[in-house]
Amino acid sequence: MATMTLVQAIARTLDEEMARDDAVVVLGEDVGKRGGVFLATEGLQQKYGPDRVIDTPLSEAAIIGAAVGMAAHGLRPVAEIQFADYVFPGFDQLVSQAAKLRYRSGAQFTAPMVVRMPSGGGVKGGHHHSQSPEAHFVHTAGLKVVVVSTPYDAKGLLKTAIRDDDPVVFMEPKRLYRAVKEEVPDEDYTIPLGQAAVRREGDDLTLIYYGTVAPEVLQAADELEKVGIRPHVLDLRSLMPWDKEAVLEAVSRTGRVMIVADAPRHASFASEVAATIAEEVLDQLEAPPVRVTGFDTPYPYAQDKLYMPTVTRILNATKKVLDY
Amino acid sequence: MIKDTQRFKPFTRDPIALVNEHGEWIGSFDLDLDDDQLRTLYRDMVAARLLDERLLLLQRSGKSSFAMEAAGHEGIQIAIAHTVKRGFDWLFPYYRDHGMLLALGVPALEIFAETLATKADPAKGRQMPNHPGSKKLNAFTVASPIASHIPPAAGAAISAKIQNTGQVVVTTFGDGATSEGDWHAGVNFAAAQGAPAVFVVENNRYAISVDLQKQTGSENLAVKAKAYGMPGYYLDGMDVLASYYVMQEVIERTRVGAGPALVEAVVYRYGPHSSADDDRLYRPKEEVEHWKQRDPIERYRKFLAGRSLWDEAWEAELREEIGTELARALEEAEAAGPVPEVWMFDDVYAEPLWPQVEQRRLLEEELGA
Repeated sequence: MATMTLVQAIARTLDEEMARDDAVVVLGEDVGKRGGVFLATEGLQQKYGPDRVIDTPLSEAAIIGAAVGMAAHGLRPVAEIQFADYVFPGFDQLVSQAAKLRYRSGAQFTAPMVVRMPSGGGVKGGHHHSQSPEAHFVHTAGLKVVVVSTPYDAKGLLKTAIRDDDPVVFMEPKRLYRAVKEEVPDEDYTIPLGQAAVRREGDDLTLIYYGTVAPEVLQAADELEKVGIRPHVLDLRSLMPWDKEAVLEAVSRTGRVMIVADAPRHASFASEVAATIAEEVLDQLEAPPVRVTGFDTPYPYAQDKLYMPTVTRILNATKKVLDY
Repeated sequence: MIKDTQRFKPFTRDPIALVNEHGEWIGSFDLDLDDDQLRTLYRDMVAARLLDERLLLLQRSGKSSFAMEAAGHEGIQIAIAHTVKRGFDWLFPYYRDHGMLLALGVPALEIFAETLATKADPAKGRQMPNHPGSKKLNAFTVASPIASHIPPAAGAAISAKIQNTGQVVVTTFGDGATSEGDWHAGVNFAAAQGAPAVFVVENNRYAISVDLQKQTGSENLAVKAKAYGMPGYYLDGMDVLASYYVMQEVIERTRVGAGPALVEAVVYRYGPHSSADDDRLYRPKEEVEHWKQRDPIERYRKFLAGRSLWDEAWEAELREEIGTELARALEEAEAAGPVPEVWMFDDVYAEPLWPQVEQRRLLEEELGA
């Protein structure tokens, strides 16, 4: 058992998976000699060589597209996109090739691959280093989507993603890379996709979140507990598939629910969860489902900390939900 | 690391040809194909042309929704099918390559079944006509978005290199594809890695209606190779023997580690872009007639006749035999019956996730009602 940050857990897991399976290769910009701009692939090229840890040209289309071809040809590529904001030149490869290869070929060809990307704001990066584009991926059938928020989950979910037979978009909130340290077991373990983590148990309302807003949500939960309100807090961790069962169970029990995420509100994943709750358990609700999200603006630079849901914004919304 | 090839030079001023328009051999070396091999090239070109006609007929008769003609492209396509190691090398074809895939060994049954979306389609009726593929023959299933298969082709070639398999990856695409960012991304990455990839542009001068002059400022497409650090061969793709020998040499130099290459095969499509296109809007009939004078089948027929390897009786026999084979394959494809509606929920993922399970139930309810 070692204590480590989220980004260290990623690097450690990649190392373990590359040692376990020769088919696992890593590719991306600066992942080799440099060990990645966030050091998520630190030391891997020294250990496994330039054929398995490939410094690619500066081209997201090449990185994701080549990963599709490698996967179809028998490898298990783990591609890194340096920032989620830069995935768009490779978006066609994700949507037209990775997501549809199994389907369009009748499962003759498949793309077992992972596309890792640091996502979210809070690091003063402006709109091109802060976005959380998960809704695009969830909207594309054929892709699985994971958003981690803890070192422990990062290891278990990355292992699952690498061993999965489908393409997995694996989002890593960059502001959490070094925010917390946690004990991560040395042994091999996996966490199934589609299983939410219960972060707090309670009966008064359900707080659903994923990814980069974890610190704010957990702090808001602490504040609520101080005044005698016990929220049930769920970290979804995986958005495709997502844990509808855990969500509906908790919402039916508490009757009140908020979904917190940093991505813009319109057509967001939070909206999908809210709509599903409204469709399936409306009669159990004592208040409308409330979304606390980023704003429908590009991610601003100067207001970096104000764009994503703050503790105050979460608590204000909580009042509405509780007083309804 | 680029080695000079033996017979052919890259970046020639004129397209490389070995048989002139009168069917005469103009190569500077001796033919080393035996009579059977020479006749098989002809047979496969005729089969490709007949398949093309049948696919168009299926669209005209309302049995399929769409057809894309390839008549005029047969020289380079059949040459590729005969110069790769079948089922060992990988092919990343595009949507006009059905004749190439037939010659490679993809059963006509599968091509017809894909066209008609019947149960005999290995891809289970998922795609529109002209999008075949075959895992058995390492022919990557065709995707519509232009040039989107180029980065995956580069990836497969890099994988072959990493694993030292000795395989070559041959990718085909049209002239319009060379303008896409994905094309650059894939060709550039393959070159940077020295991967065993051969990129072949079937340049028919038109991307639907946009002609080559509007597509690029380059003098031709082969010269683009220069900037990527690879040889670019400018080839008469309507000359099946030139196509055969150039592809053979390029594939083998790539196989031994000389890195990727680009081949520009100059061809012409006689038909419109697709059954949904009207080519009278953008090109004169005379131009089409002009290119038909260079027809790969006609020209090669003259060549064979000059060597007493062709006569009318054989031609009739050949057409009868291919026609019967195609008719039988079509019959079998139709007899397999349409794919079941609920197949649409399979193969989205290795195992359906709960949204597919729920939505399949919804459709079943709708159909059952």
